[in-house]
Amino acid sequence: MSGAASVDVKQAGWDGAKSPLRASHGKLFMWFFLISDALTFSGFLSAYGFFRHRYAGEWPIPSTVFHHFPFLEGHHLPLLYVGLMTFILIMSSVTMVLAVEAGHRKNKRQVLVWMFATIIGGLMFVGSQAWEWSNFIKGSDQGAILYQNQMYLYKINHETHKPELNVLIYKGQEVSAAKTAIVKRDGQEFHGANLQHNEYGHTGFADFFFFITGFHGFHVFSGVCINITIFIMVLNGVMEKRGHYEMVEKVGLYWHFVDLVWVFVFTFFYLL
Amino acid sequence: MSEFNDPFPNYEVLAQHDEAHGKIARKKLWKVFWLLLIITLVEVMVGIMAPQWGLSHLFLKFFFIGFTIVKAFYIVYTFMHLGEEERWTKWIIIAPFTGFILYLIFMMTIGEGNYAKTRRIDNPINTENVQSAPEHK
Repeated sequence: MSGAASVDVKQAGWDGAKSPLRASHGKLFMWFFLISDALTFSGFLSAYGFFRHRYAGEWPIPSTVFHHFPFLEGHHLPLLYVGLMTFILIMSSVTMVLAVEAGHRKNKRQVLVWMFATIIGGLMFVGSQAWEWSNFIKGSDQGAILYQNQMYLYKINHETHKPELNVLIYKGQEVSAAKTAIVKRDGQEFHGANLQHNEYGHTGFADFFFFITGFHGFHVFSGVCINITIFIMVLNGVMEKRGHYEMVEKVGLYWHFVDLVWVFVFTFFYLL
Repeated sequence: MSEFNDPFPNYEVLAQHDEAHGKIARKKLWKVFWLLLIITLVEVMVGIMAPQWGLSHLFLKFFFIGFTIVKAFYIVYTFMHLGEEERWTKWIIIAPFTGFILYLIFMMTIGEGNYAKTRRIDNPINTENVQSAPEHK
């Protein structure tokens, strides 16, 4: 392109002569989709924050709920497993961006290697989440007592992390001895959590947990599916024929977004 | 020659680079990875030790949310290559989202949050007001 032509372009301004964003349609619309998706997740997490403050007294402390680690049953290890999950997702984000970088150099072999690593990381994450869910649904050994459709929790000793079986808590308040006796006699044992009941505290915690981590997990799952599709396309040489690997970049944007959402879910669900 | 007289007709190949540039790009990516990993490790450690260290919940909120926004910035800016886009692309992506979120947080905390705290009758704090209030006929 000669210098004179570019002067023409600048003078032409906005008459369809000059692209202001210098990006392809596909990439821009992936960004716009991600913004709308980010707004959805922001709505969910804000609603979670609202409920968490609204029912602060009876909201479960995450470290008393999620303290399991595979092959280390019976130990109190809060945050470690979810920290590992975060590490897996950040790692798969790095392998994804390395695949994008290899695509910029049109190196088919490296794109395939890094994309394969990303798919493995995504599957590991979905598996970890399934394990986390099953632990939450199964619940603790002592459980809680369901009496007249209300949940009475055992008080947890914060030194030993063991439940005190003679002290009951209802809506954040300790229950009197007389009431405790009645509840223990007539109530029934309840373990774990579902959409109606939650042995760890307010039911809203279980509802939000299933809904938000489920929605995020579905994003990871669909991301893995799209990654596999693009992996097969790269394998068949579709991108080579096109002369560029922008599809890898676009699916990379989606994958990083999934990682981004998890960073926020991790903070709001497990740390705060 | 495209009909739009565009100096960059193939946006898809704009981002392509050679081996030398790729080396620099990869170095930057790994740097960001280590940064994210260290921040996450610090967060997990503080999260585990917070009850023993006696850190206040207000401090933890600012600490965790601050670090989360730092992590989000690096993921968007480096991993999603937003830093390499045009200036207007950055504005179009970041500005509307930030505006909506600030408005949402504002309404949640100042608007609805205050209402729920001081007015709603199903809030345990307000049950006294309900009992003393005259009954509707």
